[in-house]
Amino acid sequence: MGDRPAGVIGEKVERIGSRERLLGKASFAADIDLPEAVHLVAVRSERPHARIVGIDVSRAQHISECLRVFTAEDVPGRNRVGIIRKDQPLLADDKVRCIGDPVALVAAETLEAAREAAAAIRVEYEDISALFDPEEALRPGAPLVHADGNLLGRRTVKRGNPEAAFKHADVVVERVYTTAHLEHAYLEPDAGLGYMDGSTLVIHASTQNPHYDQKDVAELLGLDEGSVRIIQAATGGGFGSKLDLNVQGFVGLAAYLLNRPARMVYTREEAFLCTPKRHPLTIAYKSAANRDGRLLAADIRVVGDTGAYASYGPAVLNRVALHATGPYELPNLFVESVLAYTNNPTAGAMRGFGVPQIAFAHESQMDLLAAALGMSPLEIRLRNCYRIGSLTASGQELTGSVGIRATLDAVAPQYAAAVRERNGTVSGHIRRGVGIGSMMYGIGNTGQQNPATAHLELTLDGGVVLYSGAADVGQGSSTVLAQIAAAELGLQPEAIRTVIADTLLTTSAGATSASRQTYISGNAVLDAARKLKEVLLTEAADMLKFDRAKVILEHGSVRAVRDADRSVSFAEIARRCHKLGMPLKWQGFFDPDTTPLDLETGQGVPYATYAFATHVAEVSVDTLTGEVRCLRVVAAHDVGKAVNPQGVHGQICGGVAMGIGFALMEEFVPGQTESLKDYHIPSAADMPEVIPIIVEDPEPTGPFGAKGVGEPALVPTAPAILNAIADALGVRIYDLPAGLERVLQAALSARKP
Amino acid sequence: MNSKPKADAATKATVSLPTKNGITLKVNGAVKQIEIAPWTTLLDALREHLGLTGTKKGCDHGQCGACTVLVNGKRITSCLTLAIMHDGAEVTTIEGLAEGEVLHPLQKAFVEHDAFQCGYCTPGQICSAVGLLREGKAKSPEDIRELMSGNICRCGAYANIVAAIEQVSRMGERGDEE
Repeated sequence: MGDRPAGVIGEKVERIGSRERLLGKASFAADIDLPEAVHLVAVRSERPHARIVGIDVSRAQHISECLRVFTAEDVPGRNRVGIIRKDQPLLADDKVRCIGDPVALVAAETLEAAREAAAAIRVEYEDISALFDPEEALRPGAPLVHADGNLLGRRTVKRGNPEAAFKHADVVVERVYTTAHLEHAYLEPDAGLGYMDGSTLVIHASTQNPHYDQKDVAELLGLDEGSVRIIQAATGGGFGSKLDLNVQGFVGLAAYLLNRPARMVYTREEAFLCTPKRHPLTIAYKSAANRDGRLLAADIRVVGDTGAYASYGPAVLNRVALHATGPYELPNLFVESVLAYTNNPTAGAMRGFGVPQIAFAHESQMDLLAAALGMSPLEIRLRNCYRIGSLTASGQELTGSVGIRATLDAVAPQYAAAVRERNGTVSGHIRRGVGIGSMMYGIGNTGQQNPATAHLELTLDGGVVLYSGAADVGQGSSTVLAQIAAAELGLQPEAIRTVIADTLLTTSAGATSASRQTYISGNAVLDAARKLKEVLLTEAADMLKFDRAKVILEHGSVRAVRDADRSVSFAEIARRCHKLGMPLKWQGFFDPDTTPLDLETGQGVPYATYAFATHVAEVSVDTLTGEVRCLRVVAAHDVGKAVNPQGVHGQICGGVAMGIGFALMEEFVPGQTESLKDYHIPSAADMPEVIPIIVEDPEPTGPFGAKGVGEPALVPTAPAILNAIADALGVRIYDLPAGLERVLQAALSARKP
Repeated sequence: MNSKPKADAATKATVSLPTKNGITLKVNGAVKQIEIAPWTTLLDALREHLGLTGTKKGCDHGQCGACTVLVNGKRITSCLTLAIMHDGAEVTTIEGLAEGEVLHPLQKAFVEHDAFQCGYCTPGQICSAVGLLREGKAKSPEDIRELMSGNICRCGAYANIVAAIEQVSRMGERGDEE
């Protein structure tokens, strides 16, 4: 009978937006059309690095139904976009920096005419030496991708004295790991529709980042922010790619300059060609332990390829450095993480910002150290994992919600059983293996302010409306935020109406990235809900002539604790407040407590809280074909508190699926990979049995104790699978993906005497 | 891709476009007559000519399954077939499965099992599952996984999709519904 109804936090709740999705009525960006809309097609560079000598649009202009060809000169504002560094032209001006760079934009009455006109445009280029290797890009005298140099950024983290510690170590392991470019392959190709509504440019976008889109589109067009309205359409997955602008700038430019609605829908091939990828990293990892398995020191050097433009590269290089140790205490540490511009596709944010890559390295190292010491992989992790009071790589003391040990304990029985089963299964050329992967993940942006705001409105009929700028791209943030508001206000989540990710109606919640919306927007919603609750209780106490401390919220009313008949409804309170001239909207705000990092040592408080996880993977490896089947994944995640456990399970299973792709099959080869025909992602047939285990070590600063799970879900899977393959073969693979050829090669080398 | 010239613009002008053809489709129970160019895919006919945008375009090359619909009861990827080849056929899309407000058992099961996240592949998954159950070949979760492997879900809701289909499949065996 308390203020918080049972069945809100931690219970099964129907996902917001379910019904329209199941009925085929949800409006994704490509589903929204206006009959008078013009169709847009971009002309894209086929050269990786070239100066633009001239663009001949004359033949395109002769095609009937072709309305206009835009080039860089037509961009009325600043022709540069980019969330962290504004280094990417909407339309190439002086030169192109990668294959796929947009050079011109065609607007036509029909899609066919737009394509025909785009094909008729001739661009004259003068090639410049191109760079495809980040190490080469960093050499003195290398051609410049950007005028101010090819180094995107460098982050170092230093603690203790690694050199001295290596000298006294009982065991030292040093290896080099590489990972490939990956494509997000969200099912919905990027799309958008723009139109003028009076003097306001409205864009329906497939986006994770509406308030950032608004700023960049306004700057592109030389408009003030208030003249641009971004409305997030139903979004068919993003996984980080839809943090950057995709078509927003194009539809905005055309709608604004033509004063007609404009729509643009990428083909799958175009989405592959010109949207950001996961950073391929080369990781040189040296780590040492003493005889007891205690980690002593690590020296980790990472070089990555950020491609033609910055995108989220700076965030990736920071996160890689700060997560390089994994969830383990390392008193002596040197980490250097460097990203270089090249003429490869831009690499940006992809579920985990580099952490999945570095986790592959730190988890392989843990198994190698364990093997060198004759210790079990589980044991070495238990001995080194963070606990309350541990200092992280950045010197941050962990003071609460450190559930890594609990995740290891949670998988221990299954791990032991899997090892027993593996020992009992010997079948010719099929080998069985078991592997562990653990991780930590800092929630929110790294060492910088990243606040969220939210509003709650009490309507005169007693309804509650939640306004949040947090884009829900399928991860379920809207549902979680409604649950949080409902729990605080004594309502069921269905009673909360939501208005989400529309820059006219909602204020910024920051990006849907860094697994931050449950923790940060959740806290902002909770803040607003507490303010509303305060008013409800105060006003009700006054109306009921009852002690303020002895009234509670229940089902849309406020009543005396022990007298259900003495109650006033939210509607009565709303009408009274309205009559008194009080505003009926409350703002919530939350910004996690972080500090900037020291430039040289990387010390500081980059994140207010961390999620932890451990996966155990069981695999079978066919030593004749190289085929790896992932049979079972046990996935334990410390999420603080699972606000929506069904949603958490969904994230975990989805993360495992993506992790299997990362481990075994996905590789985007620039200039070669075109579409899903040559980029294979896991299907239902590739899925193992997944056993999700939710661990709840409450975060004191989290809403109801919650942290986040979106990216953590993916991180430990590939390390666990690669460790399982090594367990099966006795030979380790250091390069991802572990496709058929690599596995077969490993199997063959294992057979050699 | 758009950047490769399809035809020289000068010669293109001399080629006359084939006239549009009229076809009749019975879509979700309603007879529809449309005028389409012969190369219009069934997917584009549904989305662009009939305004049925519930069927999704994920790749336009039969690689993802998002555009799966039922033609005369059989599941097909509507991007890989021309509308004109189905003159007179009965087409069922995601919009045609519920009876008014009453969801199809598979739609119900998808909510119950949280068998989607972003929802973009969902119409294709559900239509494919309807077709699968009609085929009667799926006897086990393994069969379902294998026979649904043409429908990609990048959010990775596979375990829940399979569970939802399995539940409806069992209901069918018991004769509860469908």
